[in-house]
Amino acid sequence: MNPVLQNVIHFVITFVFSMLFLMGSASILVYLERKVQAYVQERYGPYHYGPQGILQAVIDPAKLLLKEDVRATQTDNIIFRMAPVIFFAPVITAFVVLPFSPYMTAGALATGIIYYVALSSIDVIGVFMAGWGSNNKYALIGGLRAGAQMISYELPLVLALVGAIMLTSVLAPGCQGANPDLSTCGVGSISFTQIVAAQMRPEAPWLWFVLLQPLGLLIYYICGLAETNRTPFDLPEAESELVAGYLTEYSGLRWAMFFLGEYGNMTIVSAVATAVFLGGWSLPGTAIGFWVGLLGSFWGQVVFNIIAVGAFITKMYVLLLVFLWIRATLPRLRADQLMRFAWLFLIPLTLFNILLTGVLLLLPLDLTPRLAISAVANWLLMFIVIFSFRRLSGLSSIGKIPGWARRTGKVVDATTAGTPPAKGAPELAGGPVRR
Amino acid sequence: MANDVSAPLTTEFAGLRSEEMILNLGPQHPSTHGVLRLVLVLDGETVIQCTPIIGYLHRGMEKIFENRPYMAGPRYIDNADYLSPMLNETCYAGAVEQLMDIEPPRRAQYLRLIVGELERIASHLVAVGTYGLDLGASTPVLWCFRDREQILDMFEAVSGHRFTHNYMRVGGVLYDLPKGWIQTCEKFLDNFEKVSLPELHELLTGNEIFEARTQGVGYIDPQQALAYALTGPVARASGVNFDLRVNRPYGAYREIAVRTQIRQDGDCFGRYRVRMDEMAESVRLCRVALANLPGGSITTRSPIALRPPRGETYYAVESARGEESIYMISDGSEYPYRAKLRGPSFVNLQILPELLRGSKIGDVIAILGSIDIVLGDVDR
Repeated sequence: MNPVLQNVIHFVITFVFSMLFLMGSASILVYLERKVQAYVQERYGPYHYGPQGILQAVIDPAKLLLKEDVRATQTDNIIFRMAPVIFFAPVITAFVVLPFSPYMTAGALATGIIYYVALSSIDVIGVFMAGWGSNNKYALIGGLRAGAQMISYELPLVLALVGAIMLTSVLAPGCQGANPDLSTCGVGSISFTQIVAAQMRPEAPWLWFVLLQPLGLLIYYICGLAETNRTPFDLPEAESELVAGYLTEYSGLRWAMFFLGEYGNMTIVSAVATAVFLGGWSLPGTAIGFWVGLLGSFWGQVVFNIIAVGAFITKMYVLLLVFLWIRATLPRLRADQLMRFAWLFLIPLTLFNILLTGVLLLLPLDLTPRLAISAVANWLLMFIVIFSFRRLSGLSSIGKIPGWARRTGKVVDATTAGTPPAKGAPELAGGPVRR
Repeated sequence: MANDVSAPLTTEFAGLRSEEMILNLGPQHPSTHGVLRLVLVLDGETVIQCTPIIGYLHRGMEKIFENRPYMAGPRYIDNADYLSPMLNETCYAGAVEQLMDIEPPRRAQYLRLIVGELERIASHLVAVGTYGLDLGASTPVLWCFRDREQILDMFEAVSGHRFTHNYMRVGGVLYDLPKGWIQTCEKFLDNFEKVSLPELHELLTGNEIFEARTQGVGYIDPQQALAYALTGPVARASGVNFDLRVNRPYGAYREIAVRTQIRQDGDCFGRYRVRMDEMAESVRLCRVALANLPGGSITTRSPIALRPPRGETYYAVESARGEESIYMISDGSEYPYRAKLRGPSFVNLQILPELLRGSKIGDVIAILGSIDIVLGDVDR
């Protein structure tokens, strides 16, 4: 086949798949969110349309698209209208680099992670514009909160990925063998395809980075929650405080763009975590050679890619279900606690993790012991963090009243302060009856 | 009231001039627990001044009492603190009984205690559940309502109404317990104590985020609690040892001892814990009352048109939110001359502006939720 035509077909297939997957995943997540929450809360959840209410996934977005577009008169028109677009566009664009399978990668950029990080930080502009353009005090506070939050959590999010990138510097395909390719080896790769390839080396296809960098995944996931404004970091749209935050004035299609964009963001965060930490499309036993040998070059590749995409999506949805689970379980932080958590806990922790991993990977040892030592150190660090979370994170000491501030710790007997029952009061309680 | 809020002040910080913002929280807001309106003066996220504006749910309840015969009172007082109607009715009926100098039969008093304690559980469940919702946890409220639903079903069986029960009568109660009610109740109490309450504790009490949001927030010291005349869980969480069921026992509480639940935290977490402990205590009280339930009639014989002799009296019960009481004046006619209702929520709400000064917006909701006001009780 003509290689140009082949490339065009490849591009069309992958692009259409990415787009459809984004929209489909967002609406399925809306349904799943309601169903999972209902399961936790002992309710039925959506039930009427289709078996187990599955058609709700279609009806919800359709309703949003058909709704009247209401705009308050006092809004800043241009900013108000542009905000959802600016929020939504990076979500679609970021989808391009996601490595669903070796074939199903719309744009296998060499700068994958940088590209994703750059796009995901554009979102905050859209949110901030929504908050400002709405000309609503709740929206303004929500937008400001979102700005502070997303910028703060961007840092540990990127730094958490650095640990995995450093691992590729010793595990990338170019570094293996008798004569390593010195041009790339030791540098590491920020291409998603390369990172996934480093996790499925022929000799250890099960060595996902989560085994070597569990702390990285944990921090990345926490920051992902904050990036996508999910519980416990959903302050920008805290419905009990700010009504709907920066979304207060939005309705109909514009609201739907924020709504679907948010779920799209969740999908992307999970997809990146899958690719970087959970081995992407790799599954023990899936090797392209086996299928090609069994079914021939074309069909073997087709079947392999289907399986790979399936594996990727399955891992991704496991992470997404944790998103939903957390939403149903945890309360939300306060604004100052949120900032303190990022700057005083997560960022130092990730920096320390990078230092530790880097030093251990530079030890003058063979590859396997080096990896083992760094993995053990990382696991230990993670358990220390988890089990002394209270003390380290400083969360539980934030609001504590120091001892000197409690003026009295004694029980006060209020009966002496009130009027005692008069003598000769009737059997019934309360005060006397005055005639 | 709205005019009390002073004009925006300006603050200087590092040469930058910033203006304060006035935010109208309510009356239509997801977590003001009804139609409370708070006018907040904000400096960024920090509250500088708070003015609560009430009255959006005023129904002229006290005037309604004056225009209805004594017998109709319990039906109207149901709507005052609409989360604990049984306790309101006990208060009204008790006041009229005291005026008429009659005492309900023991069985009626025990029934009042049982439904009253169940109502306390139901009311605290709403308080704790919505408190979780205020802090952003969506599950506790549904788990709480699941259990509250069972209590409401039991109330429906006993009184015919799920919500505004109209169960208490002057001189007793309206109906006796239906067949099998005691077993249902015991089953509920067992399940609640062994499953639901531990589940709630697991979900909220040890949660780091919940603790971080509630501990040390909205601290009321005991002297302050006394000065503001706070009662109920809010006062007891500050170490004020005051519970009407113990200090001025009425009805069956003269026979069944209550263990007052006190904590010395004085913060939102303490108030939450006092409510949780009181639910466990209410379960115990219900068990004791059911085990010792005396037989006999459930109401004294009293005329349909009640005419208490001239006089005035004050009768108070420990409602789920504090001291709920009525000051009633009778002029000897079929209608009360005056019935002044003291809503515990109204009194407890007074301390809010002082607590909110200097706290963050998130804490506004946390503190308001921990005081647990019911706007029907505030505005009456």
